[in-house]
Amino acid sequence: MVKMMEKKYITEKEFQLIPVTQVVRDFVAESGIQNGVVFVITSHTTTGITVNENLSCLYSDIEETLGRLIPTNYPYAHAHFLPSYGATGGNAPGHLKSLLCGNHAVLPIKDGEIQCGFAQDIYLAEFDGPQVRRIFVQVQGE
Amino acid sequence: MVIDMHVHPGFYGEISQDKNEIDFRKKAMGWDLMSAFPVDLTRVQMDFAGVDKLVLLPLDLTTQMKGWVVTNEEVRKMMDLAPDLFYGFASVDPHRGDALDVLDYAFKDLKLMGLKLNPSKQVFYPGDPMMEKIYEKCMEYNKPIMFHAGLSWEPDCQMKYSQPVNFEEVAIKYPELRFCLAHFGWPWIHETTALVLKYANVYTDTAMLYMDSPEIFLREVLTEQLGHLWIEHNIQDKVMFGSNNPRFRTARIKRGLESLDWKPVTKEKVLGGNALKFLGLEA
Repeated sequence: MVKMMEKKYITEKEFQLIPVTQVVRDFVAESGIQNGVVFVITSHTTTGITVNENLSCLYSDIEETLGRLIPTNYPYAHAHFLPSYGATGGNAPGHLKSLLCGNHAVLPIKDGEIQCGFAQDIYLAEFDGPQVRRIFVQVQGE
Repeated sequence: MVIDMHVHPGFYGEISQDKNEIDFRKKAMGWDLMSAFPVDLTRVQMDFAGVDKLVLLPLDLTTQMKGWVVTNEEVRKMMDLAPDLFYGFASVDPHRGDALDVLDYAFKDLKLMGLKLNPSKQVFYPGDPMMEKIYEKCMEYNKPIMFHAGLSWEPDCQMKYSQPVNFEEVAIKYPELRFCLAHFGWPWIHETTALVLKYANVYTDTAMLYMDSPEIFLREVLTEQLGHLWIEHNIQDKVMFGSNNPRFRTARIKRGLESLDWKPVTKEKVLGGNALKFLGLEA
């Protein structure tokens, strides 16, 4: 059996980690699937999905490290006028951070519950906000 | 107060319900991979950017394209929905026979705060005698004009109508008419600077574009291609912050301006003080 839902967020900052674990837990419970896997997938190219520990110090380290690797003010090739958009590509850092982060997370389901380690939380990672963002949660199993 | 003087609300969800209308706006403006979003997002984006007000600009293309890229009434609707966020301008196609009636309604009934004209898109030279009645109507209501100037991004749209030097006769003939040569007239930034320097009623805004990054582009254009201190020492009272959103995000253009090594007082004027004066809102 496969069940899927989508959820929208309005993000508030250029960089933001938005916890979505409870949304995923609730949908797994609602799906009725007892054993399988759940995928959490972003539908954008300047966001990511990641699993990490919910600590403000780590939040800060993640933001600062990504910022150091991929600075905001840098002459990226993407920052030229894109006729296909009618605008300048101003979000190269978001694309590159998304590349490092990846677009999804996968967790196992056992006895109707996602199996997270004690420190694991699932995040929608915004790298190009504020924007309206959409994630998909898909449960596969029986 | 921080004011973005140059915003096209073509994708504001509350006035973007009709797909055909959105398609028309995209075609007319050369906007493509963009889509409607709610005013709630605009509010969040303004909070993030540290911007207090956006000036919304419609465009009347009745005779050229049989439509509007956002109507005067739609601008009024957005102002009513979020009066804390928006100031609104009117537009009129100067070729239409009822242009003065449109303006009377826009200024008297809709209470719009100025007039947006795009010589390239609306196909007229600023000094065309046809324009005299429009300028006189703006002076009658003490409303400033935001003229598109310089590069036109839209398809089938010639830059020759909007070259800054073409506005000089308007500046001379109507010294009481405040007007802004938008986009710094880029790439004719030196012509724009000359007009702003010479005529007390001529302003400009920073809604150019950027390449490389907002910081790099604005530094090169405003402090290297123009002399380092030209703006600070000569026209700091006449340059206004504008982004040309949705082509360029308000937060990014502001970030680029804030990175310049201007004095705080110059930044304060450019980011909002000059706009208050231009809009007639200065205390």
